[in-house]
Amino acid sequence: MSLSVVFVGFFAMLGLLLLGMPIAVSMALIGVIGGVMVFGMPFVDSIGSVVWSVHNEAILTAIPLFIMLGELLLRSGIADKMYLAMAAWLGRLPGGLLHTNIGSCALFAATSGSSVATAATIGTVALPSLNERQYSMRQSLGSLAAGGTLGILIPPSVNMLIYGSLTSNSIGKLFMAGLVPGILLSLSFMVYIGISNMGKDGKREEVITLREKLRMSRFLIPPAVVFGIVMGSIYMGIATATESAALGVMTALFFSWRAGRLNMKFLQESFIQTARITGMILLIITAAFVLNLTISLTGVVDELTDWVTSFGLSTTGLLLVLILFYLALGMFMDVLSMQVLTIPITYPIVTALGVDPIWYGVFVVLMCELALITPPVGMNLFVVQSVRKDGGNIQDVMWGVLPFMLIMMLFTLSLMAFPEIALWLPNMMS
Amino acid sequence: MKRIEYMASMVFGGIFLLLSVLVVTETLLRKFFNVSLQGVDELGGYALAAGATLSFTLALLGRAHMRIDIFHEKFPQALQTLFNWLSATLMALFGLFLFWVCLQIVLETLDYGSTAQTPWATPLKYPQGVWLAGLTVFAFTATIYGLRASWLLLSGRSAQLNEEFHPKGVSEELKEELEDFEHRQQANGSVEEVSLSANISAQPVREGTQ
Repeated sequence: MSLSVVFVGFFAMLGLLLLGMPIAVSMALIGVIGGVMVFGMPFVDSIGSVVWSVHNEAILTAIPLFIMLGELLLRSGIADKMYLAMAAWLGRLPGGLLHTNIGSCALFAATSGSSVATAATIGTVALPSLNERQYSMRQSLGSLAAGGTLGILIPPSVNMLIYGSLTSNSIGKLFMAGLVPGILLSLSFMVYIGISNMGKDGKREEVITLREKLRMSRFLIPPAVVFGIVMGSIYMGIATATESAALGVMTALFFSWRAGRLNMKFLQESFIQTARITGMILLIITAAFVLNLTISLTGVVDELTDWVTSFGLSTTGLLLVLILFYLALGMFMDVLSMQVLTIPITYPIVTALGVDPIWYGVFVVLMCELALITPPVGMNLFVVQSVRKDGGNIQDVMWGVLPFMLIMMLFTLSLMAFPEIALWLPNMMS
Repeated sequence: MKRIEYMASMVFGGIFLLLSVLVVTETLLRKFFNVSLQGVDELGGYALAAGATLSFTLALLGRAHMRIDIFHEKFPQALQTLFNWLSATLMALFGLFLFWVCLQIVLETLDYGSTAQTPWATPLKYPQGVWLAGLTVFAFTATIYGLRASWLLLSGRSAQLNEEFHPKGVSEELKEELEDFEHRQQANGSVEEVSLSANISAQPVREGTQ
């Protein structure tokens, strides 16, 4: 199969996606057409066993379980009060509540896994207070939009799971690899907020007594315990990713019960949301594996790899090109379709050039985070804009998020220079 | 319809709750008593097979199968209608295609009497039967939706078609999240009087200059 056919296929798929065809259907359609063109009907006969092996894959069981964990924490409302506790601890830093935005977005998104839910919840709680205290609107909106992206890097992350399942890498290692970069990126955001709010116009909040701080901290206990159990069991080698998800689900149920929220209505709401998100993701993954079958059987990736290496790019050069590639895609694609569309193609090329597979997972997820806030259609920009009530223009959000985008890009470059940032923790694992 | 959706989502949730209980029990027994319940892993695979196919249908009913909508709303009305119809039709064809290729697998399993390559040696016809049943429901529902879209198109009710089949955008999702948040706040408020304004607004902002 010649390279030009591959490009036609890729752009045909992109076209179908942008016309608004369902993502799963577009991918499967191109995969099946490509496969039948090369191998004829016997190709179709091999699809069924691929579908069964995807649906019967114990690793993918972690997807519904982690989504359920996030939904239980979200719908029970036990994560809603994290903002208060964070505000008590972080309000005194220069930049006051803006730090709280980053901190609580990071924690909330890490546990709930949904950017929309994160921005809706934290934005609704935070924006009125920020407005009332005359915080810079742009910086407030920017910190909320950027903070909301942190959740897909900080484990447990469904995006990491998808990367791991598409590339057969250890989910546990990927989760561990995302942790340090996630924390460092959050800290980088906070350093920027701190520095830009230094001078005399900088905002900060009133002193809160230690007693009060500790009292407020009780709202952090449930998310912290769930996080500790999930990550701790993986780190210590007690549980696989799927098992840790099950442990998390049970812990979240316990806290919902403690909070007096465990009733049929709550369960039903959590279940139906879990089912919808799971169905959407798994149908896309099913289609991605059908497309993968075509890609692997036709050997197009080898040709593509040869073609890319013929340019004589260094690994760094290739990664820089990929950053531009992902930035361009991120302008108009959502994170999930970007991931499933590009990983099967870029992963073999990049690993052939000697890039660490686990490290590349962190890189791809960082690119996805960037896509969430890249204008014109970064989803978080839109969501944060919709939550605000002061009637301002969406350009405020875009300007506000710009410094955070730059920080993310600088962070990606430092990750390239010091891969240990991501790889240190997974290499320590027992 | 709501009733079916409700039942199906409870079954879906039940499958994974039950699985969680089993997995947690297995993990704890293994860790603390060195006893292994064999086959929980295998069961997890079957749970996924059953749950996944069920969730395809639930995502369809909830209009959650993602479509990129940034250009969609900028198209003229007639094109929007065409793409909404095409999208429903392609989804139906995809559902039928999945059903057909997977039916071949199950027929093969029945022919050979295949069993799983595990200590349990589960006859695969049982889990695959449930799996195929789920796919049948998905294909059936997707086909009904496809036929409904075609019927609306042929009878010239394009406004109705667009209303029922347009992509679910972020704004719709956000609206649902905000409503849910509102409900949670009310529920939380009744348990305990905590709100951000009560806690933080009471303290005045202090400007750096003061």
